[in-house]
Amino acid sequence: MQERRSEWALGRPRQAERKEVSVIEELGLVRIDDRLIHGQVIAVWCKQRRFTRIVILDDGVAADSFMHEVLSLAAPPNLKVDVFSIEEGVGILGEDTAGRGATMVLLKSPLAAKRLYDGGVKYSALNVGGIGNAPGRKNVFKNISASGEEIAILKYLMDKGVEITLLTVPGEKSKAFSALVRKL
Amino acid sequence: MINIVIVSHADLGDALIRAVEMIVGSTEGLYSVSLLPDDSPESFGEKLEAALQEIKGQETLVLIDLFGGTLYNVAARQVLKENVECVTGANLPMLLELTMSRDGASLPELAEDIARAGRESVKNLGPMLNK
Repeated sequence: MQERRSEWALGRPRQAERKEVSVIEELGLVRIDDRLIHGQVIAVWCKQRRFTRIVILDDGVAADSFMHEVLSLAAPPNLKVDVFSIEEGVGILGEDTAGRGATMVLLKSPLAAKRLYDGGVKYSALNVGGIGNAPGRKNVFKNISASGEEIAILKYLMDKGVEITLLTVPGEKSKAFSALVRKL
Repeated sequence: MINIVIVSHADLGDALIRAVEMIVGSTEGLYSVSLLPDDSPESFGEKLEAALQEIKGQETLVLIDLFGGTLYNVAARQVLKENVECVTGANLPMLLELTMSRDGASLPELAEDIARAGRESVKNLGPMLNK
């Protein structure tokens, strides 16, 4: 089976290439956004790409059924919202489940992205969409801030071959992490 | 008196308060908490909690500007409190209705009334005026 790579990063189809030996369909989008589901994600990403499922991987939200309800209520009716702990997500997304290509995975932090990757879900592209400023973090690009530790994690993933793009919503200015990392 | 807390992106809440006061004059019990570009959901949540702390225990209607946005994600939890209701889609007609009918109404009724007022205030004039 031919490997499919996500096409969102550069907005055009990519030639199939193999960095990781993968026999399962590529996930539609793996995104770090500490706001999880919000206006931009729903309005722009889901209009441009035919996502049918959003999978939120966050230990806090997974333990908070009210929050799951709040997030599901805001999603359009044709979009299924699932919430799992990262450990559960590794199990679920590591398998060749139907609709993988139409699934958006939402994570709150670079650390969560690393835990998913190291757990065995070897995505080839990572979208960093939004990380709010907080003590210990500095602004990296637009609405994206990161701590030294988080930058080190993104470098780690980049060195594993993950293509990391900083982009809030499609159509806006984006930045490849590889181009930015020298200045950080 | 029922408190009104507008939860908005940028300066929308402050501007809505100024706009409603331009119509009905200065009013009490109106608060605005803003999400700024640098805020994380956590830092905004702390701001909201601090603002609500001042009026803790009092009947409060939280008016959220955008259904499905970050503010909604953070503020919706307030609805679990006994004397708090949350309504999304904040606009000027809703705030007007709130300031004018909050005396005497029960909080759940008021929440229902302003949700209706908000929906009914949206009109597409072309077809209505036989353009």
